[in-house]
Amino acid sequence: MNFVCNFPFFSILLSLFSGTICSVLPAKAAKIVNRVVIVVVGLLSATLLLYLISVGEPFIYWMGHFPAPWGNEIRAGILEAGMALFFCIIMYLSMAGGAHKLFDEVDESKHNLYYILVNLLLSSLLALVYTNDMFTAYVFVEINTISACGLIMIRQVGRTIEAAVRYMIMSLLGSGLLLFGLCIMYDLTGHLLMSNIKESVALLVASGEYQIPLIVSVALMCVGLCIKSALFPFHAWLPDAYGYSTVSSAAILSSLVSKGYIFLLIKIIYRVIGFNIFNNTRIIDVLFVFGLMGMIFGSTSAIRENDVRRMIAFSSVAQIGYIYMGFGMGTQAGMVASVYHILSHAATKSLLFIAAIGLTEVSGGSRKLVDLTGSGYRNKWAGVAFTAGSLSMVGIPLFSGFISKLLFAQAAVQVEGKMLASLIVLGISTILNAIYFMKTVIRLYTATGNSPYRGITFGKMKRYAITLIFFILLNILLGVSSQPIVDLIEQGLAMFS
Amino acid sequence: MIDGRRKFDICVAPSHKCSGIEVNMGPNLLANYGEAVSAILFCIGFTNLLLQTNLIKKIIGLNIMDSAIYLFLAEKGYIAGRVAPIVVDGVTSTEAYINPIPSGLVLTGIVVSVSVTALMLSLTIRLYTRYHTLDLDEISMQLKKEGR
Amino acid sequence: MYCILLSIFFPILAGLFLLIRFRTPLAGEKKNEDRKKLLLLTGTFLVTTALLTAAALLTATERFTLFYLTETLPIYFKIDTTGTLFSLLAMIVVLCAGFFSFEYMKHEEREGRYYGFYLIVFGVLNALCFAGNLITFYLFFELLTLSSMPLVLHCGTKEAVMAGLKYLFYSLCGAYAGLFGIYFLYQYTDTLTFFHGSLYVTAIAEHGGFLLLIAFIMILGFGVKAGMFPMHAWLPTAHPVAPAPASALLSAMIVKAGVLAIIRVTHFFGDDFLQGTWVQTAWICLTLVTIFMGSLLAYREPILKKRLAYSTVSQLSYILFGLAVMNEEAYIGSVLQVLAHGFVKAALFLCAGAFIYKTGKTRVDELRGIGREMPLTLWCWTIASLGLIGIPPTGGFISKWYLAIGSLKSNIPVLGVLGPIILLVSALLTAGYLLPITVRGFFPGADYDRNPLEKKEPGKLMTVPILILTTLSVLIGLFPDSVAFIWH
Repeated sequence: MNFVCNFPFFSILLSLFSGTICSVLPAKAAKIVNRVVIVVVGLLSATLLLYLISVGEPFIYWMGHFPAPWGNEIRAGILEAGMALFFCIIMYLSMAGGAHKLFDEVDESKHNLYYILVNLLLSSLLALVYTNDMFTAYVFVEINTISACGLIMIRQVGRTIEAAVRYMIMSLLGSGLLLFGLCIMYDLTGHLLMSNIKESVALLVASGEYQIPLIVSVALMCVGLCIKSALFPFHAWLPDAYGYSTVSSAAILSSLVSKGYIFLLIKIIYRVIGFNIFNNTRIIDVLFVFGLMGMIFGSTSAIRENDVRRMIAFSSVAQIGYIYMGFGMGTQAGMVASVYHILSHAATKSLLFIAAIGLTEVSGGSRKLVDLTGSGYRNKWAGVAFTAGSLSMVGIPLFSGFISKLLFAQAAVQVEGKMLASLIVLGISTILNAIYFMKTVIRLYTATGNSPYRGITFGKMKRYAITLIFFILLNILLGVSSQPIVDLIEQGLAMFS
Repeated sequence: MIDGRRKFDICVAPSHKCSGIEVNMGPNLLANYGEAVSAILFCIGFTNLLLQTNLIKKIIGLNIMDSAIYLFLAEKGYIAGRVAPIVVDGVTSTEAYINPIPSGLVLTGIVVSVSVTALMLSLTIRLYTRYHTLDLDEISMQLKKEGR
Repeated sequence: MYCILLSIFFPILAGLFLLIRFRTPLAGEKKNEDRKKLLLLTGTFLVTTALLTAAALLTATERFTLFYLTETLPIYFKIDTTGTLFSLLAMIVVLCAGFFSFEYMKHEEREGRYYGFYLIVFGVLNALCFAGNLITFYLFFELLTLSSMPLVLHCGTKEAVMAGLKYLFYSLCGAYAGLFGIYFLYQYTDTLTFFHGSLYVTAIAEHGGFLLLIAFIMILGFGVKAGMFPMHAWLPTAHPVAPAPASALLSAMIVKAGVLAIIRVTHFFGDDFLQGTWVQTAWICLTLVTIFMGSLLAYREPILKKRLAYSTVSQLSYILFGLAVMNEEAYIGSVLQVLAHGFVKAALFLCAGAFIYKTGKTRVDELRGIGREMPLTLWCWTIASLGLIGIPPTGGFISKWYLAIGSLKSNIPVLGVLGPIILLVSALLTAGYLLPITVRGFFPGADYDRNPLEKKEPGKLMTVPILILTTLSVLIGLFPDSVAFIWH
């Protein structure tokens, strides 16, 4: 076995242990450790990705020395490695972009705690991405929830604690359902490893026995993960959690945590249940309908919102709807579009959160849209970045959002029954997106004559501005050279089955 | 029994205990009373967690929900007439023992749910010291009044 | 290849440069007072771009792929005759309105932003004319909306912002309907390039009815930009609030992007496919309704620029009517109408701009006696009006003549005959809403107090562009064969 095959295991352990180490380090050192760990894990994932592309097939890594049905396993394919790499990039950029805000909002003595949580979150995300064992996945889902909850409440104001409680409650409901579904699945198949469950499920379906418990189990797992990833109508916790936490947390929560759960769902669909079996159930229709509803209701809520952070948060609800719509189409193309949208949305949404914070800073800290008037002139980089993010969300060509919409539409035309619904909703949602994002952008560039707030120059926010530039570049990269990425996603999904 | 190769399948319950579709529900439900009870408990816990406004009651609901799942696992993992897989009298046949994995899962699950409960309780304390109430809706009202 | 690329990206980059260099100063920063420098730079950029475009047109007949958006969707440019025509028109209108703005925008704020976006619009218009496939076209269609929106809401009042948003949403809705069609077409063709009838023959046979629906949706969608009923409402809102040269550009060129889109789409489907179908009938009906309604609304409208906006709605549908009839004469009429309307409407808006700039009068009834104050401008207005009404020897006459002939020859029942009648009625209405301004302007009536009137003729920067456009609008009528390369 090649040495590279150890990398997934290394990266999980590295981030887990660095979290522990951070607890005894002073804030500065913890920050450095955190950054280094993210970079190292990113590099490991990149190497792994290159290795996997050259080898062309996934590998399975035994944890301990027990073979398949008993031991715990890690599995890495192109999609897993790519996702890990992407998560690292987004996490690094989000941390860098929100670093200065952390000092304002979080007590200095708590900084190292923050880095513990981020490292833990990274390790749990990596574990969710790589694991081949359902129960391990469950455990790391819980770790993910706990650390995400910590990220929300690290900024100690009433709102965030309340948001954290609400987040926690919904997440616990979700993980309870997931666990129950998982236990039923274990009961039915006798396995916990994904590959083994899949074999047994195939036999079970072929035999025609236990169909109802099987469906119930799949449905429970789906609903659990839907709640955790804030699919409409389970999104009530989301605006507060994203809207009031410190900005790095908001960016990470919206672009990574929910995506981690969605990625787990993709794994469950492909590696546990089997794509075709899953598509033959009615569950995809339910996902499809709720996806569509989410796309519309998320956007309409965002239009009504007059707080910029909450507006972006509501837009997340709509974007998650897109992803589930892709699942609901039940085709390979729909799945590819969804995975692409995971990337595109992660890149765009974190950009928007980070850019929004720059704009609110130069508006006296107020997040009301009214106060943001003209802030695009006061903080030019944030203004440009917000505009770029908005254009991507609206789906203007050359930005990543356009490609994902294109992929969704191409997938939709191949599905007879769902074509019209998805294209029309896609259109409505595009226009709704345009309404609130373009409205905001115009507001940013409406000069106010004599504004009471001072602007900020490039010199005073070099790191922040550079982060934004990287974000914009990432977005344009996804939008312009999408083909290689789509090819990788297709290969990765092929490796899943 | 799904797959003959695997010795530790837990679906080795007596045939009357399996929940088939074509058989009528009554006897099945009776035979699977443990699972039925755990499902009912799960629903009770779930509803409590979702609908109670009192935070402590919510946490109790959470614990009921989790315990229901552990009950389910334990129920599924036990096979009547067999013993825990600890070899004392030299019997090594797998037929004599139950599958230890569900018990292991229960233990892991308990650890997870304890830590989650601890976190929830600490959050509740935070909120209580700040707002002097355990009612989540009332806390939301107060937050709205604060206007932040 | 380089000429095409330069003619597209040079103005865009130059515009971005202006945006950054002459950005709006923050509160507390000192203002960029070097207006001369800005104008000099803008002028240089405009002329350079025009030269580059001319060079690109001369080296025509090349085609190349810039890069691949996805595996099967290249960003592809090629110059064909239709593109040449539109880019020539764009070049002239942009230059004239651009130099006009030098004077007009003197007292406006944030000029740097205006010229920056103005240049970007120029580049995007070029790209739109040279776009070689539907997806490239869509890309620049969206960019055109986005880059022209700041021109509409330039003055930044609440009204202007709302108008800008309205413009944005109408255009985005329209463009999405177009994209909606492209998604479907993607299945039935191996290429999205603008070749005549690039659809699979089998697809037409099997999914004919469905494809017709798609064609109709695309025509409706792109028709939003061209102000076709029922989605014309953005035009009369957006025009009055924009600065006059921007409205000239908007009315003369940007709305033509919708026309260009529809030409591309109909070519893509092929005339044979659409001829005699319900799509053609419905389309003709819509254009006729638009022609009549636009003229009628313009007739009743008291605000000058709004009146011109309604007139644009009406006149653009002449072009669309010609395209919908789908025979050679009608096509010639449409092409001529594109040019004639482009020159005339730009001239009219610039005249209106000159009136507003010099006298501040925005309502039609305030313009009594304007001929005494600004005779040259009003003469230009009059000649241009004649062109719009369609009186020989102006361009408007030739184009409408061909449109009527084409319509009569087309053998379309009822509508083929009804068309010319409506054209005639609309021409009368056009005379009714444009000529009174001339008449009242020169002959304000006996009871009119002429004492406060004084010579207010605007400077050369304003009059020369108007004169050029007016002259061109007549020349196109005298020498229509000069653009005959389009239909040969």
